[in-house]
Amino acid sequence: MKPFRRRGDEVVARLEPAEAGIVGLLLDQLEQLLAADTADVGGDPVVERLLPDGHRSDPDLAADYREMTEAALRAGKADDLATVRATLPPDGGTLRLDPDQAAAWLRTSNDLRLALGTRLDVQEDTEPPEDLSSEEGQQMAVYYWLTALQGSLVDALVAGRAGRR
Amino acid sequence: MAGPLAPTRTPETTVEERGDLDRPWVTIVWNDPVNLMTYVTYVLQELFGYDEPTATTLMLQVHHEGRAIVSSGPRERMEHDTSRLHAYGLWASYQRDS
Repeated sequence: MKPFRRRGDEVVARLEPAEAGIVGLLLDQLEQLLAADTADVGGDPVVERLLPDGHRSDPDLAADYREMTEAALRAGKADDLATVRATLPPDGGTLRLDPDQAAAWLRTSNDLRLALGTRLDVQEDTEPPEDLSSEEGQQMAVYYWLTALQGSLVDALVAGRAGRR
Repeated sequence: MAGPLAPTRTPETTVEERGDLDRPWVTIVWNDPVNLMTYVTYVLQELFGYDEPTATTLMLQVHHEGRAIVSSGPRERMEHDTSRLHAYGLWASYQRDS
């Protein structure tokens, strides 16, 4: 990967073929999770993290909030995901994003990190994996790769905002 | 804001509304181990128009104290703010100010 850099109004990165393939697979998994019937995935900690309660102590208010906002929240995440998929070079290569596309990548890469991080029970003191032979080690490596990708995207967007002033 | 069709206010609702004004609702961002500190600062600036030092102070409060109030006002607006934060994956909720 070549991390995101600002180029005028756009941000540009470069993905290896294997990296683009992994992002494609993660998008498929996230899409399935977001499209699933709540009855089938209820209690799944990843779904609870992506579509959290709006109120922590009042179940009635939390239910009101969900009824009011959840459909729009799911639709927004699905739109972002579709934008990421449409702009992802399937065999790797240059990734060039306008501001709207960059915002979609920012939110979706965060959702992918939230999903993986919740599955892997990532904590603030979690260290990058040393053993990459185990499945968990590999998933953790993907998590840290996504962190680097998203971190560079945030930095590139912040640099753009500073440039607008 | 009341139009011609607005119901006549009873003294009870006036008292209740005054109570709401005294204790507004707040939107809270909670600490979580995944969201990047730079990302949280960026999102607070994007959504609420905070300048960089203010957004950074709020982000650090979330990080060190576990939570920070990022907006306050009527309940409907706090619900809206919470949903905008959820769209960015921040761990947020709203409640009556305590």
